Amino acid sequence: MIEMPDNFPAISDLFRAILAIVCGAIGTYLLLPHPHGRIKARNVHILGVGLTALGLVLLASFWNAPASLISGFFFYLFGLSALGGAVLTVTSRNPVYSALWFAAVVLSTAGLFLLAGAQFLAAGTIIVYAGAIIVTFLFVIMLAQMEGKARYDRSSRSPAAATFTSYLLLWSLVFAVLCLRVPVGGVSPATNQASLANRLRPTTYLLDIYGGQMGSRSINSVLRESVRPTALLDPRKDRSKVADADPTIPHVAGLGATMFTDHLITVELSGILLFVALVGAIAIAQPKKPIRPTIATPSA
Amino acid sequence: MTFWAICLIVLKIGVVVGVSQGAVAYLILVERKVAAYAQDRIGPNRAGPFGLLQPLADGAKMILKEDVIPSYVDKPLYILAPAIAIIAAMIGFAVVPFGPVGATAPDFLDGSRIDFQIAPGIDIGILYVFAIGSLGVYGVVLAGWASNNKYSFLGGIRSSAQLISYEIPLGMSILGMVLLTGSLDLNSIINWQDSHVWGIVVQPIGFLLFLISGFAETNRLPFDLPESEQELVGGFHTEYSAMKFGMFFLGEYLHVITVSYLIVILFFGGWDIPFLLDQTQTGWFWAFMKASVMLGKVGMLVFFIMWVRWTLPRFRYDTLMELAWKSLIPLAIVNFIATAAIVQLVYS
Repeated sequence: MIEMPDNFPAISDLFRAILAIVCGAIGTYLLLPHPHGRIKARNVHILGVGLTALGLVLLASFWNAPASLISGFFFYLFGLSALGGAVLTVTSRNPVYSALWFAAVVLSTAGLFLLAGAQFLAAGTIIVYAGAIIVTFLFVIMLAQMEGKARYDRSSRSPAAATFTSYLLLWSLVFAVLCLRVPVGGVSPATNQASLANRLRPTTYLLDIYGGQMGSRSINSVLRESVRPTALLDPRKDRSKVADADPTIPHVAGLGATMFTDHLITVELSGILLFVALVGAIAIAQPKKPIRPTIATPSA
Repeated sequence: MTFWAICLIVLKIGVVVGVSQGAVAYLILVERKVAAYAQDRIGPNRAGPFGLLQPLADGAKMILKEDVIPSYVDKPLYILAPAIAIIAAMIGFAVVPFGPVGATAPDFLDGSRIDFQIAPGIDIGILYVFAIGSLGVYGVVLAGWASNNKYSFLGGIRSSAQLISYEIPLGMSILGMVLLTGSLDLNSIINWQDSHVWGIVVQPIGFLLFLISGFAETNRLPFDLPESEQELVGGFHTEYSAMKFGMFFLGEYLHVITVSYLIVILFFGGWDIPFLLDQTQTGWFWAFMKASVMLGKVGMLVFFIMWVRWTLPRFRYDTLMELAWKSLIPLAIVNFIATAAIVQLVYS
């Protein structure tokens, strides 16, 4: 039997979080369209909005005031616009607007990455998603003629399963955040990475079963490395002293060094995957010979 | 300290925005004059001496004209599109160094340095410019779609295909320089060229690819398919009038300035002139010398871009796509692999 770690969230907090998730899940289920496109009663919608709002209020009760005014302001600006954009992506009637709200979500996410000091990730997200993928979406959507509203746009395929999966994911995120939560006046995790690594421990019960070891290294050292900001991914310094690395070291060089040492197999595998996808795309795009009836067949 | 730093940055933003908007107004005059000389005309010469007040007259005309919004357009996107075009062109300037930055920058009163760049020390420099540049396509695509007009729509469709295609060789053409200099930061790239040679000497193919793709990314002739007048009336901006049309114009010329700055920084040594200017010279005099040298190089490139407009005819759409996918991208890959091999063999 595994013991409860010290920073396991308080029972009252846990109860509040579970209540928020359950309320939100039921509310969202009631708000989702009917599987066969039938129109729901107005009272059901009102109940759904009420329950979802209750869930949101319960989640908002965990809110702490931000420490720094400027970065706090930008964090909430980007975070709220990302959430608002996500809701509008799903609820917009016009697919062109949906694609644009998705672009807004991507831009806000890139802003959050920048606040977290992950410059390369921010630029890469914008280039890949906003610059290429969504523009391709728009290209296709604009070519598709929209003749009225299709029935499948107003129905949801399997609302119960969708609500269950998404709220299960939300629950695991909320639980992880509750474990990481710092009491007011405590040490901020960003300034103390060792404490952040310790706080991640409740989410790693399964690893503890293997005697606190991952390969030849202890779980604590692996966790400490996994929570380093990219600014501290310095290839030239000793791994154990990495926490007090010089902040002027290039982010991109450190990121590249980590990707091609610690995560080499992942990089190579994804490269192979993309290559296979490319070959497949070319194979599919190969024009087929048109079947033309021959004028005079020899057998005839 | 933080307060004054923020004030300084706001001041820099104001100067960059103001100067670049003014520069764009005069670039339009230069464009008309170059066009006139290329066609053996005189060009605008009525407003002020040599027509120097023509940009003011043009600007006043743009602002005072009636702003027609047709009834059949998708109004929110119709209004948003020119704003996106100009904002995407404007915020790319945040990481472009206009002069010396860092150790070579002049000292200010209390010993802190004045960098000729809005956001100095951004490690991803050139990637940021590409990220912002890839957003510019939204302005054109949305204008084409929201106008609810066949010509505009065809222009928007052409533009999205063209810009996506040419972003690939544009991005790959700089990889050679990035490999050689070992940094994505634009200042480090300039400093490397100062202590070695100009980028055009070591990366001639990269320069050519960047130049061609840059023309395509700025929608300049011979790649101005999205607005080709003879086939599409005005392309994506057919339905736009007054200042909304003017904003598309501003955005296009701002793109020309950004691309020219990037070419100068990546391949013509930035502020560097061999044997005359180098990194050891600090102080205000050398700072202004370097900024002026850079501006001069940019001016020459802008003139070159305008010259090309009246020299080469427009591409046909299929030849445009073939050029990107069958010539430029393979060439960029070969150039990248060759550079990587040389860097690996020589430097290690």
